[in-house]
Amino acid sequence: MQTMDANDTGKAADSLPRFAVVGHPNKGKSSVVATLAQNDSIAIAMEPGTTRDSHRYPMKVDDVTLYELIDTPGFQRPRKLLAWLQGHSLSASDRPDTVAAFVNQHSDDPRYHDECELLRPIVAGAGIIYVVDGSVPYNREHEAEMNILRWTGRPSLALINQIGSDDYSADWEAALGQYFQIVRRFDAVRAPFEKHLDLLRSFGELAPKWRETLDAALEYLQALKFGRDHQALEQIADALIDMLGHQETARLGEHQDGRPLLPQLRQRWQAWQREREQRQRRAVEDIYLHRRLQREESDLTLPDESDLFSERTRQLWGISKGQLAAAGFGAGAVGGAGLDAVTFGHSLGTGALVGGLLGAAGSYFYSDKLNKVKVGPLSGGFREAVYGPLKDPQFAYVVLGRALVHWYQVSQRNHAGRDVLVVTDSDGHWLDVLSRGDRNGLQKSLQALARRRFDPSKRQRLIEQLELAQQAFAQWQLEQFKG
Amino acid sequence: MSRALTRLLDFDDQYRRDQKQDQAFLHRRDRRFAQQQQEQGKPLSVPAWLQALHALNDQRRDSGPDVRLRRWRQARWVFAGLGAVLGAAFMLGLLVYDGGRQINLTLLMALVALQCLLAVLTSVQAWLGWQPWRGLFGAQADDDPLASLRPALSARIAHTGGLLFAISGLLALLVMVVVQDLAFGWSTTLQTSAEGYHALVSLLAQPWQTLWPEAVPSQALVSASQFYRLNSEGAVSDPALLGTWWPFVLMLWLSYVLLPRLVLLVLAGLQVRWQARRALARHPGYAPLLYRFETPWVETRGEEEAPRAPAEATVALSPLPASSTLIHWAGAGMRSGAVVGALSRGPGPRQLRAGGNSTLEQDAEALREAGQRREPVILVARGWEPPTGELSDFIMDAREQWPAGTLLALVPLADEEGAALTDRGLQAQWQRFVERQQDSHLLLCAPEAQSDNTPVDADHGR
Repeated sequence: MQTMDANDTGKAADSLPRFAVVGHPNKGKSSVVATLAQNDSIAIAMEPGTTRDSHRYPMKVDDVTLYELIDTPGFQRPRKLLAWLQGHSLSASDRPDTVAAFVNQHSDDPRYHDECELLRPIVAGAGIIYVVDGSVPYNREHEAEMNILRWTGRPSLALINQIGSDDYSADWEAALGQYFQIVRRFDAVRAPFEKHLDLLRSFGELAPKWRETLDAALEYLQALKFGRDHQALEQIADALIDMLGHQETARLGEHQDGRPLLPQLRQRWQAWQREREQRQRRAVEDIYLHRRLQREESDLTLPDESDLFSERTRQLWGISKGQLAAAGFGAGAVGGAGLDAVTFGHSLGTGALVGGLLGAAGSYFYSDKLNKVKVGPLSGGFREAVYGPLKDPQFAYVVLGRALVHWYQVSQRNHAGRDVLVVTDSDGHWLDVLSRGDRNGLQKSLQALARRRFDPSKRQRLIEQLELAQQAFAQWQLEQFKG
Repeated sequence: MSRALTRLLDFDDQYRRDQKQDQAFLHRRDRRFAQQQQEQGKPLSVPAWLQALHALNDQRRDSGPDVRLRRWRQARWVFAGLGAVLGAAFMLGLLVYDGGRQINLTLLMALVALQCLLAVLTSVQAWLGWQPWRGLFGAQADDDPLASLRPALSARIAHTGGLLFAISGLLALLVMVVVQDLAFGWSTTLQTSAEGYHALVSLLAQPWQTLWPEAVPSQALVSASQFYRLNSEGAVSDPALLGTWWPFVLMLWLSYVLLPRLVLLVLAGLQVRWQARRALARHPGYAPLLYRFETPWVETRGEEEAPRAPAEATVALSPLPASSTLIHWAGAGMRSGAVVGALSRGPGPRQLRAGGNSTLEQDAEALREAGQRREPVILVARGWEPPTGELSDFIMDAREQWPAGTLLALVPLADEEGAALTDRGLQAQWQRFVERQQDSHLLLCAPEAQSDNTPVDADHGR
């Protein structure tokens, strides 16, 4: 339970934008706060309608609070409260004081505990965010609540949250417009990040003195989002570097055959890959503050059918042989063009042609090539059997495609979401969105990863290539959504 | 080993420890450090950051070198020792003089040139990053932070051995000059005149020509020093003259063996330091650290909510009592004939309304009217909405006004058409509400399917 201190009152407190999110029980107040505060623990913790104490969620930049959201309990006895207020007020001018008097008088009354909790921050100067459910028809039973809020005299905004599938937002908008300065629609679970910023911008419109602070806060939030996207990209890049270059080794006697070790090494290699992939998933979820996320990836629950290494997964997330050959052709042609440049064009372009053909042939050949155990030279009476790295170019696209799908879903997910994150399949391919040049660049970067010793200086280049892939993927997703 | 190497390893260790932490913690920690450094006007650097973390974690660096550098240090000592022994042996072998014939300066110059060439090749190989001797180190760990520095580190070791080789060779030369009467001469199968040979040695002596003129052989010395092995009678008229070559040999060794090794060793040391810095800057943890230093820590999450498991509730639905008095809380199911049919006994039940947008006076009137009918009352509510304090107050008011023992059946609906609530969570919510009222005449009921509607007697539900 939050208690008021002396600092909460007066001008100092008034200058800090505070917003009490209030409403009828179970209309999504906590969901709105969970999304705006990016705190998934709120949504997980609550049983509908059980919030009893108000909770504060300050938005801080380097420990300086820019604004504060206050999640409050729902109205329990609005009609009695309104009757009390009406019975103690002489004129419209004393209404805010009458509300404050109610809070003072009933602060120890367990029957009005919830009302006191929700009104206390408002009396102390917080703006009002009144949340209703736009999926149920408007009815007048909320009018007592709205009247009470009007009595406080505080700047107020009504938020039409969409909980169910029906839409009565228009009716709500018309009714709420009579009580509140601003009316906005906001789907706490599905609204994209830009809508969060729009909503916070609307909060700034409630009082001119809050606008500047909120604008600054929005800039920080925007930068935070970009920063997180980049951090996620670095996690994906590091996972790719690790996974594509990974080897499993075992010791062999001088005359021991390495072939029987293949299944064991292959199994160890796959287990390692899966563990590394899961580590990358958790890291990305942590970056976006989804700490209580439940995830379900189809391949892990269906190991026979859609496993990371199954043909179906390759078809879904990798690129087709044709696309791979085309990408290889492009990459080879670049090399061939380099030959032309060195010979000052005396090869008359045949360098590019030959390079392209070799690249295409190589890609096509490797796309089906299985990995084998390699046995190293004798050293100290032993030889080393090595499995990996996998030279199949499709493998890189499998890993990258899955990582991007997961990243996109996590980055777009609101913290009010309580459903299990299902990393779904898709029937198209995002690579088509990339330009030919970018596709070749990506192909070269990914191919470099399969070399045994990845040059750390190429990591930055890889991240730049992946950034383009990330943008292409997001664009492709958007097009899929529109389609 | 240089501080840059220790810093790189230290940074890598910290990076690995940090990988177990969440990003938010790391950002807060490092941003705080950056702000503190800024406030105190101190530089914001990786060493300062590492030092601060060590201080916070009460970590004291071991007095000895890092275990990962120990191997390189040992190799350096071995090469230095080997170089010293081989250098002395090389020079003694070269200067073996039994009086039979002169020490061949041509051979000596060729070996000096070879030494110089080897030194240069070692450095070039290190700069190119070529490691033909990689296999000697065994399998290389995937995550060895020193991997990219191996060529430079190896070159430094090789140059250390080379330098000790040159120094011990030089000392051996000086000792031999002191303890023996060395006689140098030059011999070659090629048709070279003494003038040509003089031009060659003068060219080689260019670096010290002004510094030590006596160490530049004269034309007369060169002419007097030529010998042929077959010419056994070709005794030298002035044997002491042949010994005057030693300053040239000394300076030749110093300038073309020792000094290049020294310079290249210093360069290899600089290369190690430079590459260690570059490896640090390219380390996967470096850019994120700078990001955390520079980017304000934005916190929106506020307090963490501990998952609250609702109190245990065993849903116990009572049979619906026979009644023809319905109170629709907030108008729940009021307009549905199905609801009325499923809940009431007989035609034309009395339907009252309370809560919602009714006034408190209307609530009181509904209570009064229901009480007058002296039969169980069915209170219909929307099951998907949580029960509020107003409903609780209404039930308490009813209990005060109605005859004692009047049954009140609370029926939460799943929809406006009168479907029974099946969601276990919602059922439990209403069960808990009923239990909180501590009213033995308050029953939690569900609407019965119309075909099975067999209302029970008032006492049956108890």
